[in-house]
Amino acid sequence: MSRDRWPGIGHALILCASLTGCVIRTSAPVAQISTYLTVTVETNTVAVVIQDGLTVRWVKHRSEPGKMVVEIEGLSAQSLGALQRTPLDQDQWTEIVRVHVDPNREPSIAGVPPVQGRYEVLSDRVSFTPSFPVQPGMTYRVELHPEKLPGSSPPKSKPFAAWFQTPAPVVTPKTTVQQVYPSASTLPENLLKFYVHFSGPMSRGGIYSHIQLLDASGQAVELPFLEIDEELWNPDLTRLTLFIDPGRIKRGVKPLEEIGPALESGKRYTLAIDRNWRDADGAPLRADYRKVFDVGPPDRDPPHPQAWRIKPPSAGTREPVVLEFPDPMEHGLAQRLIWVADSGQHKMPGEVTLANEERRWSFVPAANWKTGPHQIVASAVVEDLAGNSIGRPFEVDVFEKIQSEISDETITLPFTIR
Amino acid sequence: MKSTHLSTSLVALAIGLLTVGANGEKLTDSLKPGQPDLKSASQLAFGPEGILFAADTKGAAIFAIATGDTTPASGSHPLKVEAVNQKVAALLGTSADQILIEDLAVNPISRNAYLAVSRGRGPEATPVLVRVKSDAKMETVSLENVKFSKAILPDAPTEGVVGSGQRQSNPRQESITDIAFLEDRVLIAGLSNEEFSSTLRAVPFPFRTVGNGTSVEIYHGAHGRFETRSPVRTFVPFKIGDEPNLLAAYTCTPLVRFPLSELRAGAKIRGTTIAELGNRNRPLDMIVYQKDGKDYLLMANSSRGVMKVSTDNIEKTEPILAHVPGGGTKGLTYETIKDWTGVDQLDRLDGQFALVVRRGDGGSLNLESLPLP
Repeated sequence: MSRDRWPGIGHALILCASLTGCVIRTSAPVAQISTYLTVTVETNTVAVVIQDGLTVRWVKHRSEPGKMVVEIEGLSAQSLGALQRTPLDQDQWTEIVRVHVDPNREPSIAGVPPVQGRYEVLSDRVSFTPSFPVQPGMTYRVELHPEKLPGSSPPKSKPFAAWFQTPAPVVTPKTTVQQVYPSASTLPENLLKFYVHFSGPMSRGGIYSHIQLLDASGQAVELPFLEIDEELWNPDLTRLTLFIDPGRIKRGVKPLEEIGPALESGKRYTLAIDRNWRDADGAPLRADYRKVFDVGPPDRDPPHPQAWRIKPPSAGTREPVVLEFPDPMEHGLAQRLIWVADSGQHKMPGEVTLANEERRWSFVPAANWKTGPHQIVASAVVEDLAGNSIGRPFEVDVFEKIQSEISDETITLPFTIR
Repeated sequence: MKSTHLSTSLVALAIGLLTVGANGEKLTDSLKPGQPDLKSASQLAFGPEGILFAADTKGAAIFAIATGDTTPASGSHPLKVEAVNQKVAALLGTSADQILIEDLAVNPISRNAYLAVSRGRGPEATPVLVRVKSDAKMETVSLENVKFSKAILPDAPTEGVVGSGQRQSNPRQESITDIAFLEDRVLIAGLSNEEFSSTLRAVPFPFRTVGNGTSVEIYHGAHGRFETRSPVRTFVPFKIGDEPNLLAAYTCTPLVRFPLSELRAGAKIRGTTIAELGNRNRPLDMIVYQKDGKDYLLMANSSRGVMKVSTDNIEKTEPILAHVPGGGTKGLTYETIKDWTGVDQLDRLDGQFALVVRRGDGGSLNLESLPLP
C-alpha cells in the first residue's frame, strides 16, 4: 500500500490469521509507516492502532461470540465530557468514528452506508458495537476523525483509517446429496415431486440454477419444476421439496399443448444436481449428484388401504411392525402421517423407517410391545408418488362435483400383539 | 408487500390509515411492548397507523409491529438506490452474497420503503427489517422494546417427531407466499413443502385466533381442470363496489377473484377465474392502482416484463370455464411494459410511482421508483 492511495489520512492494514493474533501487512517498510502509526497486537485484543496518543482497538465482545467491538481510547477529558453531556445521534457519531465493510480497501467509500451498531461513551473511551457478528474473510475499515470530536480544538490528531481483515473461512467441501425420494428407478409420468436430502444444512437463494432434469440425450428439460422464490426447505435446510410444475404434468388423455409435459412415459431421465451449490458454510458439495430413472405410465388410482398388509411383531420385543404397500408411497407424508396407537388409542413413541422404494413402512417402538389390540393410523393426506391421496385422486375433473375435501380424516388398520 | 385497493376504496383507505376506530381506540393500542422473536422475515405488508405485518415462515407466525413511522410524506419524490443489495449488506456488516432481500413494502403514510432481509443464507440466518427513507438513507428497524403482537398459524408443525433416544425435528414447513391487509383482516397465502395444497387465511386484526386455512379451489383454464391444490403466488386485495375481494395469481398465471366474505375457517371456496395470462410465466408480485380515472393491475412475472391489466368492469368479466388451449390467454387483456425488466418486488410508492426491486447488471439489485404506466 502506498500513502498516495489514501491522501490525507494515515492508514494501516491488519490481517488476522485468527482472532487471537494479527500481523501487519504493508508494501511499505514498517519503520516508514510507524512514523505516524504504531500498530501492536495484544492479548485478548485483536489489533490496536495508535496515532498521536489515540488508540483504536478492535476487541472481542465479552458475551457474544463472533461479535467484535471497536474501542477508541486516549480521548481528552474535554472530549469525553462533551460526549457524555450531549448525546449524539447516529449521523453525528458517524462523522467522528465509523466502520465500513471495505473488501477492496477503496480510496473512498462514499455512498456505502457505515455498519449499523451502537455507540457508547464510557469513562475512559468510546465504543462502537456492530449490530451483527463480523463476517469471516471480510475487511473492515475503521475511520476516525479526531478533528470532529467535541471539545478538542485545536485538533491535535489527523484523521486516520485502519483496515481489519477477519480470518478467512475454511471452506472444505463436506456436504453431499444423501438421498433423493422417490428412491424407485421407475416413476409415474404424473410424478408430483422429489425430495432432495442433504447430509448437512444448505444455503438458500438461487437454488434452481443447480438442478436440472435431463432427457435421455442429456438435453435439459425446460422449466420442469415449480420455482418458488421462497424455496421449499425444511427448517434446518437439509431437505428441499421440488414440485414438478403442475403445468408440466400430463393430464388425462390430452397432451399439453405448446410446452409439453416434463416427463413422458417410456423415456429415461436424469435428475442432475451440480456440486457448485453451496452449503450453509459456503462450501460446494463434495460431488455432483445424478439420479437416473425411467418413466412409466401415469398413476391416477388413489391408494387403497385395504390392499396394505401388516406384519405384527411379537410381545415383549422391540421388533418393528411392518406395513407393506403394493405401490411406493410419498416419502415425507408417509414418514410423518402414519403412526401406531396402543390399546388406549395413544400415539406411541418410536422410530419410523421407509424402505424398499417406499413400499415398506416400519415402526420400532421406544419400549417393548405389550400384548393387546393396536392400530396403525394413517392420515388421509398420505399420498402416492402422483399426489393421489387416500380415496382422492390428484386430478379432479372439471365437470365432476368435488365430494372429498382436504381434512383431518384418518384411516385405522388394527393389529394385535400376541 | 401491498396495501393498495382499487379506486372505490382509495378514499376509504386514506381515511382508514389515519383515523382511529369507532370506539376511539387505535389499532396500535392492541399491541404490547417487547421484542418480537422473529425467526425469519419473508413477506411484508403495511396496515394502518404504520403497523407493519411481517410473515415468519420459520416460526409459522405473523407479526404486527408498530413502526412508529407515522409522519406523513410530503409531495411525490422519486427514489433510486443502486446496488441496494450491496448497500444493505454493508449496513449489516457483510457482503451481498451473504444476504437475501425477501420482500419490499412501502409504508403508505411516510412512503418509506421497508425491506425484509435475511442476513445469512443458512439455517442460522438472522431476519432483519431495513428501512430506506425517501432521501435513500437506510437503517435497520429496531425490534427492541417495540409494540407488537403475534398470530401463530394453526397447522403449524408440531414440535418434533418423537424418535427413540433422539428428537427429530419435523420437516414440514409452510412457506408464506404472500400477505396483505384489508379492512380488519390480514390475508395470508401459504404453500406446504409436503402436501401440494394452497391455503389462504383471513386473520382478524387485532389478532385473536387464527382459523384453519381455507381450502382454495379454482378453475384453471390452461389445464382444463379444477386446481384444488394450485399454489397462490401473489395476491392483492381490492373492492368491487362495497364488497372486499382478493385478486390472486397462481402459478401458470390464471388470475382469480374471490369475495373475501367466503374466506372462513375450514370453508371451501370457489374463485372466479377472470384471466388466463399464458404459459411459461410465474407471477412474482402485484399491485393495483388508478390512472386517468381507470383501474389497473400491474403484475411482475418471471418471463415477460411487467404486465399491465385493465381491471375496469372486472365484476362483469365472464368467468373462464372452458379449457384454454395452447398455453394461450383469455379473459381480461393485458399489455406488457417492456422497459420494466427484471422486476422481482413491486409496491406502490404513491399516486405517481411504483417502487420496485429489479435486477441490474452483474447480479446487483436496484431499488427504484418507476412512473406508473
